[in-house]
Amino acid sequence: MTTVEAQQPVLELRNINLSYGSVVALDDVSFKAYAGEVIGLVGDNGAGKSSLIKTISGVNAPDGGEILVDGVVRHWRSPHDSMAAGIETLYQDSGLAPDLTIGSNVFLGRETRRRGVLGRLGFLDQRAMERGALEQLRRVGITIPETNRTVAELSGGQRQAVAIGRAIAWARHVIILDEPTNHLGARQSGEVLKVITSARGQGLCVLFISHTLPHVLEVCDRIIVLRLGRVVRDAPTTEFTVESLLGAITGLNE
Amino acid sequence: MSTSSELAGALAGQPARKPAGRSPFRRVVTNQQFVLFVVLVGLIVFFGVRNSLFFRVGEFSNLLTDFSGLILIAIAETYVITAGGIDLAVGSTAAVTGVVAAGWIQPLVSHHVNAALVLLLGAVISAVIGAAAGAFSALMITVFRLVPFVATLVTYSAGAGLALVISHGAPVGYNPGAIYWSATGVSIVTWLVAIVLVLSIGLGLILHLTIYGRYNFAIGSNEFAARAAGISVRRHLVSVYVLSGVLAGLTGMFFYIRSGSGAATTGVTNSANLLAIAAVVIGGASLYGGVGRWSGTMLGAAVLTVVSDGLIFINVPPTWIQVVVGALIALAALLQTFRRRGGATGRTT
Ligand SMILES: Nc1ncnc2c1ncn2[C@@H]1O[C@H](COP(=O)(O)OP(=O)(O)O)[C@@H](O)[C@H]1O
Ligand SMILES: [Mg+2]
Repeated sequence: MTTVEAQQPVLELRNINLSYGSVVALDDVSFKAYAGEVIGLVGDNGAGKSSLIKTISGVNAPDGGEILVDGVVRHWRSPHDSMAAGIETLYQDSGLAPDLTIGSNVFLGRETRRRGVLGRLGFLDQRAMERGALEQLRRVGITIPETNRTVAELSGGQRQAVAIGRAIAWARHVIILDEPTNHLGARQSGEVLKVITSARGQGLCVLFISHTLPHVLEVCDRIIVLRLGRVVRDAPTTEFTVESLLGAITGLNE
Repeated sequence: MSTSSELAGALAGQPARKPAGRSPFRRVVTNQQFVLFVVLVGLIVFFGVRNSLFFRVGEFSNLLTDFSGLILIAIAETYVITAGGIDLAVGSTAAVTGVVAAGWIQPLVSHHVNAALVLLLGAVISAVIGAAAGAFSALMITVFRLVPFVATLVTYSAGAGLALVISHGAPVGYNPGAIYWSATGVSIVTWLVAIVLVLSIGLGLILHLTIYGRYNFAIGSNEFAARAAGISVRRHLVSVYVLSGVLAGLTGMFFYIRSGSGAATTGVTNSANLLAIAAVVIGGASLYGGVGRWSGTMLGAAVLTVVSDGLIFINVPPTWIQVVVGALIALAALLQTFRRRGGATGRTT
């Protein structure tokens, strides 16, 4: 992506700070992300990757700094606000409710109501949601025979598929994937990478977090390296090799 | 988007496996509601055979009233437990509201104020007191981060103590006029029972068919997932404990109307708590949250009512009833473990 720099960033972070008590998780983090771009977010365990994406999605409120979407400063009161702004997130620690059905999970937080008075009273149109979930998932390449089974009944890979599918199906601007290939085999990981590439093809901005550096080098246009809560490198993928990336992550070659 | 292959199939590594134990027969016989229904019928037949007076219409009416005194707090507990919490304060909240409502209402009953008005006023007072108790628990849980067990234990102790202080340990506001409401109605269904049943059905619909209920299960199943999906977890939990308090308060009012006086005995307080939680557990809910059904709780409450009344009916000392209730909880827990192993999970939606 060489031409994107001229556009307006779809997501921009300015001087984000976040602490958990005395632990500084994010230290003055700034970067810009553009539509149709896959950004790799890498760093050692505890570097602050998950904290960063939870800040972008509104799970954590930053202690300082600004988040801009399409050039406008936004304040998230809850993840609900970031979702409404077109940002979807796949969390590392499962974001699915195992006792709810696949359909209920796909529509969690954005339930379809019945028509008329019952709908205004809060009654759910469960059938519409099951049907909608099937369609949404199929549209992003995931076929699941019945969506009225609980997530607890699915295998680990299937759960991950539902979680990724849900995120991609709802994302309008930005999709954040926190270690989506964790616990997956080689072939399954390959499928996830394909999904990422096609999300870019749709014009989404993808933030991809992974410890598997060859994957990051394979699908990302740009790589941001976090170390101890700070951005230490932010450069096009072409400037990295596995070795130099590892060096930037650990800080050993400096 | 056109991914080359079916991601789900590829991610699963193999075709979706049908969990073991989903055969129709096994599903039916391990279905908690089905088992409970069989147990319920069996118990009724058993007590009837031991003492045919058990089949009298009057006794059935008694059962229905006792059942009604239990289901509101059992349903309250269903909401709280499926949301991943527990409320140990329903019994004492009922006791407090019972004695307070009794004290306030008795003069009105004595002055022959319109009975429906008195009843409504009493219900509002009880609901408000209950709501305050629930809000107190919710405050400790959501703001001071106490675990629900401890927070509601505090509310329980405070409530039980308060009830004794207010009532000086003696029945309050005795007035036979109050009992009038528990004795009139259509056929064996008294007005009191009818109101409670309608309220219960409404609460069941809300739990299983509305967004509020959906959020309740989502939070109990995975609080983080609920929060990440934009659900206001804290606000929902506050509302659930307040709802539980309101239902406990109304139960206190129910006890007052039923007996014609408010009593604050710890026996009633404790057994109400025990029975409410037992009904939910016997009904198949998971104490880890996320799993449970209104129908299960209703059946659980019915079984407990029949057992409690039936044992007295065949002259078993009341002290044994708690032992039997304990055994029923153990059986229900065993059944749940068996179901888990069978691969079937509780469905909430
Ligand atoms: N909820 C939390 N409470 C306290 N400290 C936390 C919490 N979450 C993360 N941290 C700390 O913040 C730092 C960054 O963690 P995290 O964002 O999870 O890193 P990463 O995802 O890169 O492994 C670590 O030091 C971690 O221990
Ligand atoms: Mg992480």
